[in-house]
Amino acid sequence: MAASLARLNGAAPVHHARRVGDRRTARAVHYAMLCPTLLLLLAFLVIPAIYVGWLSFNTSTYGQDVKFVGVANYAQLFADPIFWRAFCNTFFVVNGIVYAELLLGLGLALLLSGPLPGKALIIAVILAPYAITESSGIVMWRYMFEPDVGMVSQFLGRLGLAQLDWSTNPVQTLLLASTIAIWHHLPFTFLILYAALTTVPRDLLEAAEIDGATRWQQFRFITLRLIMPAILIAVLFRYIFAIRTFAEVWLLTEGGPARLSEVLAIYLYREMFKYHQFGMASATGLFMLVMSLVIALPYLRRMYREVMRGA
Amino acid sequence: MRRRNHVDHAIRWALIVIALVWSAFPIVLVVLSSFKEAREIFAVPPTLLFTPTLENYQTLWQSRPEFFRALGNSVVVTIGTVLLTIVASTCAGYVYARYRNRLLGGTAFGLLAARMLPPIIITVPLFPILNALRMNDTHLLLILLYAAFYVSLGTWIMRAFVAQLPIELEEAAAVDGGGLFAILVRVVLPLVVPGIIAVAIFVVVFAWNEYVFAMIFTTRNAKTAPVVIGEMLGTVEGVQWGVIFAAATVQLVPVLGLVIALQRFLVAGLTAGAVKQ
Repeated sequence: MAASLARLNGAAPVHHARRVGDRRTARAVHYAMLCPTLLLLLAFLVIPAIYVGWLSFNTSTYGQDVKFVGVANYAQLFADPIFWRAFCNTFFVVNGIVYAELLLGLGLALLLSGPLPGKALIIAVILAPYAITESSGIVMWRYMFEPDVGMVSQFLGRLGLAQLDWSTNPVQTLLLASTIAIWHHLPFTFLILYAALTTVPRDLLEAAEIDGATRWQQFRFITLRLIMPAILIAVLFRYIFAIRTFAEVWLLTEGGPARLSEVLAIYLYREMFKYHQFGMASATGLFMLVMSLVIALPYLRRMYREVMRGA
Repeated sequence: MRRRNHVDHAIRWALIVIALVWSAFPIVLVVLSSFKEAREIFAVPPTLLFTPTLENYQTLWQSRPEFFRALGNSVVVTIGTVLLTIVASTCAGYVYARYRNRLLGGTAFGLLAARMLPPIIITVPLFPILNALRMNDTHLLLILLYAAFYVSLGTWIMRAFVAQLPIELEEAAAVDGGGLFAILVRVVLPLVVPGIIAVAIFVVVFAWNEYVFAMIFTTRNAKTAPVVIGEMLGTVEGVQWGVIFAAATVQLVPVLGLVIALQRFLVAGLTAGAVKQ
């Protein structure tokens, strides 16, 4: 055991390396095994991200030399009311999605914890939306919510209630987009919380019950405390992913009418692929990146300590 | 006391049914409606008993041949991404599980931090460059991009699975004269199959369903099925709902079946790759 531990600290794990040369070979081969992963990451994420940072201080478009302009892109970005509109939309959509999913996911996980007949089947159905592509998900929800003809619209009409108007009313667009996003990603939040709940020891809850704790107290002081790390992870990852929201809004209205329902990813897409303003698109991208990193900072700090422990 | 239990029981099941309807209703609705005639699709109340027809599937086959080409592209891209991601992640996961030093710690952390990066920002530098290199609209590009997005989760999952294996197994195999490669393939690989399956499901679901990057980086040759479905929805003047439903049904059945069949590996993978670390 001690030998294996020592080996974890840098030596090759291969025992047959009777000669030092063999161990060196093993080490070299093993290090080479990192290459595919690290090259993919460098080529497609790290280097492009660094380049985006640099590009955000330049103007650039097709057939034109890159020209350094300092913080002019950021000045233009922060002076653009459409950018702030996209920022606010993103802010409300992201927070709505994250906390609705947390509540629903936690409720669902609690509902399904403990013995239940047909549980595997129930969980399979609940996971189903995870397997659906974004564009099909939007097909499904648009079919139900299509103005005038969709079944929800007709139902509201029969009740004499106001008509759905998501194609022209940005608030309704974003509400529908958020609902679709929640439908898509609830399985993820649910799974993380459910997995955490299964690790809560039953006898701890039973002991508390014997001591006279109510069910709410058991939940509040035992279950919730024990699954808090999982809740934080679920919230963090959903924040990071919700900031990227694109397809739900894009396939409903493309950010319209008059760019009122745009989110940040759509703003970036327009700057890049409609107006070909690479510098502006980069500045938007860097803004999104910084937002994500700020949210992820506590998690990243903890993970940094963890991977460096014993290194 | 007994009555209260009954009430609790009834409420619990009522809530479970609501959750099931919420998850399944949109999917079931679209799959069922794909077998309806056009005039029945928006009928109110929705017709529950109807004579199923394959009309929509026929129209899809005749008027949208590009959908089936796109489906083929999706198959190619998905298989390519799964193979590349699994090979890369298993190799890297093994090294991270068996060695530890500052350099490795730094790169392992880099892998994790890279997941925080919103992928859409990399389109800004990549699109013009890849366009100049004539790599846009190729299967290979989508495979490389998708693999790049998933090697980090894959590596962390595989690292967790390899770390559970006692190192003595490898040492024993080495004493018996196994070479480096033989030890990896014959001793380690068979024992981490559950991890590989978990990574494979995540990657299949992602690569088969990915929309944004496929929409940006493909125009004709490598266009995938989700993009074509999105385009069919985009023709605002007269969306052919029945035909889209048929396309959506064809596209969702294989992966939905896979997720349902292999759900327990999903839980294992999530716990290994995301939660515990």
